[in-house]
Amino acid sequence: MAMSTPNSAVLVDWFERLALLLAWAFVIIVFGAVRPTTFLTWANFSAILGSQAVLVVVALGLTLTLTAGDYDLSIASVLSLAGTVLAVLNARNDVPIVWAIAAALAVGAAVGFINGFFVIYFRINSMIVTLGVGTFVHGVTLWLGNQETISGISSGLVEAVIVRRLFGVPLSFYYALTLCVIIWYVFSYTVLGRRLLFVGRGREIARLSGIRVDRLRWGCFIVSGLMGAIAGILYVGTVAAADPNSGLSFLLPAFAAAFLGATSINPGRFNPWGTMISVYFLVTGITGLSILGVSTFIQDLFYGGALVVSVTLSQIVRGREERLT
Amino acid sequence: MKRAVWSGSLAAALLMAASAAMAEGPEATRAAAQLAPYRQLPKFEAPGEAFDARACMKDKSILSIPASSAVPFLKVIETSMAKVAKDIGFNLKEWENQGQPTQWVQGIDYAISNKYNLIDLLAGTDPRFLEPQVKAAKDAGLKVMAAHLTGFEQPPPGGVTGVVPIDYKRAGALLGDWAISKTDGNVNALVLTVNDVLSTDSMVSGLKEEFAQCPRCKVNYINIPILDFATKTQTIVQSALTADPSINYVIPLYDVLSQWVVPAITITGREGQTKITTFNGTPFAIAFVQQGKIEMDLGENLDWIAHGVVDAEARVLCGLPMVKDPHIPLYIFDKANADTAGKPPQPSTGYGDAYLAGYRKLWKLQ
Repeated sequence: MAMSTPNSAVLVDWFERLALLLAWAFVIIVFGAVRPTTFLTWANFSAILGSQAVLVVVALGLTLTLTAGDYDLSIASVLSLAGTVLAVLNARNDVPIVWAIAAALAVGAAVGFINGFFVIYFRINSMIVTLGVGTFVHGVTLWLGNQETISGISSGLVEAVIVRRLFGVPLSFYYALTLCVIIWYVFSYTVLGRRLLFVGRGREIARLSGIRVDRLRWGCFIVSGLMGAIAGILYVGTVAAADPNSGLSFLLPAFAAAFLGATSINPGRFNPWGTMISVYFLVTGITGLSILGVSTFIQDLFYGGALVVSVTLSQIVRGREERLT
Repeated sequence: MKRAVWSGSLAAALLMAASAAMAEGPEATRAAAQLAPYRQLPKFEAPGEAFDARACMKDKSILSIPASSAVPFLKVIETSMAKVAKDIGFNLKEWENQGQPTQWVQGIDYAISNKYNLIDLLAGTDPRFLEPQVKAAKDAGLKVMAAHLTGFEQPPPGGVTGVVPIDYKRAGALLGDWAISKTDGNVNALVLTVNDVLSTDSMVSGLKEEFAQCPRCKVNYINIPILDFATKTQTIVQSALTADPSINYVIPLYDVLSQWVVPAITITGREGQTKITTFNGTPFAIAFVQQGKIEMDLGENLDWIAHGVVDAEARVLCGLPMVKDPHIPLYIFDKANADTAGKPPQPSTGYGDAYLAGYRKLWKLQ
């Protein structure tokens, strides 16, 4: 009877942790071999890194609530609302950009507060509450922006998001990276992070252990709303306009990234590095396919296929009873 | 001596002008000639004979179903149509919806049960998805019109009574002409199409015809489904610019896409080398023209569209011949005239107001 030795178990564990990074490297090697002069350029990687900050921030926001065992389906609507609030204040009412950003962040936190209120006080499933609140927020966004795409945003914001660069990469990437580092630190090195993990794994056990479960969950909703608002600010800074509808299309890719990220780095846990790497893994694949000139439907096949295959392989390799929910 | 210098200077100037004219190839000259009429402020052309709209429409009603009430472009047209209907004196109601075909079906059922005379499927409410409902409406005696959906050469889709066409083929051709004239026939263009939208076929055929006459032009077409606008446009354009840095024009067929094309050009460091030319004249995109981020936006006046659609549909209800060409004009906005659209740009501004008096006279309202 074959038995796995401790060494092989360690190897499997490390392989699992690094699987997504290895898959990313594999994708880079394949496309680099096919199109070395265009794909393997710093300009290409700079464009890949600099253009996905919005998706990374939305996915990181989801990672927070998912870790606490909740869903926040309103985060993409918050993105649109925050962007519209910023644009209406700054472009239409000449409010200085700093105050407009502060207002957008406050609106994001307020939506998170409302989500938390209904989930915690009325004990309603977070999926239902955030679906309803998200739809309501979308209506508010359309009303507030008069259903228009608003341009004329202060050039200072655009400068600070995609025009200014560090090592050739737009600053938006570093903002997303900073948020990732903060969340990783909180999850890995603080009592708060540990408690959050307990809450997500077993709410009742956490409660019986003396953890203030409701407060933690509520806090996660507020921070998730804030993350949605930050994504909205980055989005407006990227496209130099606020579109009331576009934010919604980030929701499913962000969930895909969060779930894919949970198969790596800290397998079985929603984790910020896994989430960030999965965004760039998927986008690198799509960029490579675009450079090869394939149709967008092939890109969908890659996106969806990569998610399902990765999660399945992760479960097979681990062979553990715990499953992602 | 002075006279000799003057004559010499004149001769040199003439020579330079002649050289410049000779330097411009035939493709560029032809393209510039095609564009010239669309640089002039549009003039009103009657789409048919004058008729007493108030008398014939007083007991008529239209239910207008836009592709989505959440789309700004459509909301502006609907608001203008309601204003025009009020002015003429008949009932026009918008069926508010969020772009779901099931809501369009509901709207048609509502029109049938409330005995409207005509259903207007506006700008993207695609009758190909509503054939049973369109048939039911027609069986109940209602007229069904698809407005601002098809080009002149496209047949009426989905069994509708008729269409109010737009010259999309011309619009597509003008986008190509712009790039050809600006590069002297050395275009390397990335065209972003939206194949979900019926008018795209017409625009692409116009573009292809123009580029077919430009031997040195190179064009790559990429389709972006509506659902992927926000998440994929920027990546696709960045990748294309990385793969081929000699691309000198990105042509998004509809200017809503330009909000993701602009950052793609910025991030890849192609500002000033890769230009954007597009269609629709949406205010935010004209603001980009003012800022130099878009080189040209081919605009259509939404209020003029509203007048044209109401006119064509009133004629159907009044038993007049179907309008073949509503004469809704296209107008070029570039850096030279973008400010005429307002600062910040406003819908239906910058096109002149010749059509307002024109339609009132046509409808015998004055």
